[in-house]
Amino acid sequence: MALLTLNVNGQTYTNVNVPDTGMPLLWLLRDILGLTGTKYGCGIEVCGACTVLVGGQAEKSCEFDVGSAVGKKIVTIEGLSPAGTQSHPVQKAWIANQVPQCGYCQSGMIMACVGAVNAGHHGTEILNEMGNLCVCGTYQRVRSAVSTL
Amino acid sequence: MPFTHRTTPAAEFPTVSPDIETPAQAADLSTMGRRGFLATALGGLSIAFALPDVGRVFGAKAAGGPTPQALASAYIRIGTDGTITLMFGGSEMGQGAKTGLGQILAEELMVDWRQVTVQQSPVDPIVTYITGGSSAVSGRYDNLRIAGAAARESLIAAAMLSSGDHTRANYSAASGAVTYTGGATAKSWLYKDLALAAASPAAQALVPTTLPLTDPSKFRIIGQSVQRVDIPSKTDGSAKFGIDIWFPNMVFAAIKHCPTVGGTLASTPQKPSGAIAVVPCTASDNRGLVVAGSVNAVAVVANNTWSAKNMANSLNVSWKLPASTATVDSTQLLAQAQTLLTASSGVLTAEPAPPAGSATTAAQQTGLVEPSVLATLGTPTVDATYVLPHLAHATLEVVNCTVRLTYDSTNKMVTLCEIWAPTQAANWVAGTALGLINAAPAQASNPLTAAGVVVNTTFLGGGLGRKIEQDYISQAVQVALAVKVPVKLTWSREEDMTNDNYRPMAVVNVKAKLSSGAISAWYLRNVSGSILGQRGWMAPGTVDSQAVEGAVGLPYSLGNHIVEWAPLNAGIPLGFWRSVGTSINAFAVECTIDELAQKAGLDPFVFRNSLVSDSRVKAVLAAASQMSSWRSSLPSGHAWGMAMAEWNGTIVCEVVDVSLQSGSLRVNRVACAVDCGQVINPNQVEAQMQGGIVHGLNAAMWGQITFTAGKANQKNFSNYRMIRPGEMPQITVQIVPSSASPSGTGEPGVPPIAPAIANAYSRLLNSRVRTLPFFPGATMGD
Repeated sequence: MALLTLNVNGQTYTNVNVPDTGMPLLWLLRDILGLTGTKYGCGIEVCGACTVLVGGQAEKSCEFDVGSAVGKKIVTIEGLSPAGTQSHPVQKAWIANQVPQCGYCQSGMIMACVGAVNAGHHGTEILNEMGNLCVCGTYQRVRSAVSTL
Repeated sequence: MPFTHRTTPAAEFPTVSPDIETPAQAADLSTMGRRGFLATALGGLSIAFALPDVGRVFGAKAAGGPTPQALASAYIRIGTDGTITLMFGGSEMGQGAKTGLGQILAEELMVDWRQVTVQQSPVDPIVTYITGGSSAVSGRYDNLRIAGAAARESLIAAAMLSSGDHTRANYSAASGAVTYTGGATAKSWLYKDLALAAASPAAQALVPTTLPLTDPSKFRIIGQSVQRVDIPSKTDGSAKFGIDIWFPNMVFAAIKHCPTVGGTLASTPQKPSGAIAVVPCTASDNRGLVVAGSVNAVAVVANNTWSAKNMANSLNVSWKLPASTATVDSTQLLAQAQTLLTASSGVLTAEPAPPAGSATTAAQQTGLVEPSVLATLGTPTVDATYVLPHLAHATLEVVNCTVRLTYDSTNKMVTLCEIWAPTQAANWVAGTALGLINAAPAQASNPLTAAGVVVNTTFLGGGLGRKIEQDYISQAVQVALAVKVPVKLTWSREEDMTNDNYRPMAVVNVKAKLSSGAISAWYLRNVSGSILGQRGWMAPGTVDSQAVEGAVGLPYSLGNHIVEWAPLNAGIPLGFWRSVGTSINAFAVECTIDELAQKAGLDPFVFRNSLVSDSRVKAVLAAASQMSSWRSSLPSGHAWGMAMAEWNGTIVCEVVDVSLQSGSLRVNRVACAVDCGQVINPNQVEAQMQGGIVHGLNAAMWGQITFTAGKANQKNFSNYRMIRPGEMPQITVQIVPSSASPSGTGEPGVPPIAPAIANAYSRLLNSRVRTLPFFPGATMGD
């Protein structure tokens, strides 16, 4: 058990009780902090549903060591824009292109896209950076949305 | 342990014909619906009406067995505060159901679609909500229009009472108001101001017995690509899926099943250090009834999902394995299936059906018809055997369920059971919970009633047919009963993929004879496990409608033909995978038709067109041909292929352009033409076609679950490959205009894609590809 200080979505969480050695960031976000927008899909860094930003970089949180996130800014889907606004350019592009179907992969999809944009990628580069799986098959609309960024 | 059994499925469902699409029947329903309407004055006008919740899985087409169908209640509420609410008992799993239903209601109510709120209704204990069969929107179209018209006419009747003029022609409804033009000056009332009076007996007496429906040529909202109401919440993390349910005092459970299908717990394992509890879980059947004596899993309860999952993973469990795993082994099943391909017994005829009133059984029919077809066949032009694997659903949201029980003061008797679940069958969830709770001795004197179970259907992170099952629901209730605090059970991906209800594997043989460019004889035998039979949902000895759909009732002129089914005794749990049996049979049929076209030296479009007479099918073929004009100018190294399929009234034709890139097949583009009858929301039709194509493409290229000695070999996406964003083909969808009743779009995009790709790939290789997937053993890394 460890007590950590974490910065998530601009908020400082002190004395975060990490109950289990090795608990990855995903489960800390979901089960301890109650930030459930970040999803569990595979637990082995294949599907990308758990993607968040750590220090501005897209990271799959399902195997991301919580300790490595200390001192860095963590941004989850909930922190991308003020609550209820969906005002981030990527969110706007997603809505304009009516991307989500079931929506389960989309938090990770959007965060991966933001990470790729942050890293300076453009157009199809963004798409190739995003390895996210979408079982509904929304990729064509993802491509359309990305092309407007 | 004597569990309280629910009524049998057959008795539980009213036997109402699911075929509500014909005008005559719609009129009948109008009458029946009128009787069912309740107009009350609880804060405005409420109209309860019957919505057919047609789970196609129970089969309009089912032959012989029970065809349980249900009428599910729904409610329209027009409040005195101006709110218009449609209570929806089905499931939103990505298909845009809430948006489409809101559009239909808004159309008949003459309001803006944004004014209608579609709200998830709690489960009604006496009716069944099944979301399946691509029926969520199309299956409710007629009745929702009638109910919307009833609400509108009730409001107009209230206006008549107010003005005193009862001449209907003097009133019109538009933009949420009734206007009267019969007097010297026009008068207008907002719906909210009419809502109370509309519910009065005096107003109801003025409602016409024949409800006028909006002329489709005047539709303002039906047929428009309005934006999906649920999409904003799916871009900011606020959409709540089952897996997101969270209470401050909840505990978290993970599950470990016996890795061998059919195995049971030998002894309860010791609780790991740090765990809250270890709970042995009894298996349940597909309707949530526990299978006595079959404890096939252990749940581990902890303070968080991660810990629970880890502890479940490393739990040292002693299992009692089944005596034989012969029917849970892909190699052995394939061998059995191949034997059944030529067997003369154990085979049933699906088509032609025995003559009406004939005592000829399906098996006798085989004996009678098969020799005649075989004689006509002589030496078949094509004799092809297709092999298709088991497939997992792999919904991205693993199955999960949250249960909160409230106890009486003795802390022994449950007085309330609240469930949150991503489910396609909320009503069955309630039954599953009731059966388990009332089995406890403490409940004997005072059993929990249906009213004591509240099922909250959350968003589904994909349903695909997996989430009608009750296994995960039953386990969560069992764990809640053991720990007595709110608990969320979440399966790991590995448990989800290895304990699915799989799309059956199948071996299909087709023999066809070409004579003068037409088909003179056709023989198809499908060997596959029975989804309905395994569940006891059909009479033994009859043909499983799910196994032969897509092989019977084909639009092609096939000459002298027979379609047979030989049930394979698979011990692997089988289920409804998006497009079910048609995902299998369309592959065999469309590859064979393509091969025949090739033998005849005809273009596949021209050949198919010559075999069909249905004008809708012809129109879809023509549209697909026109859309894919690129096929005459493909770059070298590319090939094209096409296929079509009809699925529950929707006709889809897909054309693909493929090429080989560094040894692997790449699908570059897909042209898709679809006739799904009256379109509610074109943008969603397009989305469903795109989704269906990706689903079928993934399966055709890489999808397979193989079993070795009772265990599934694929456990995660690492060896259950799917395309990534950068691999997406460019899909063009064209909706063929149609005045037919709406038919579903969730599933019909799937069946044509595998044969279309196979037909293209076969041209590229100059050799026929008949086994799926094309690339077994594919893997995926991070």
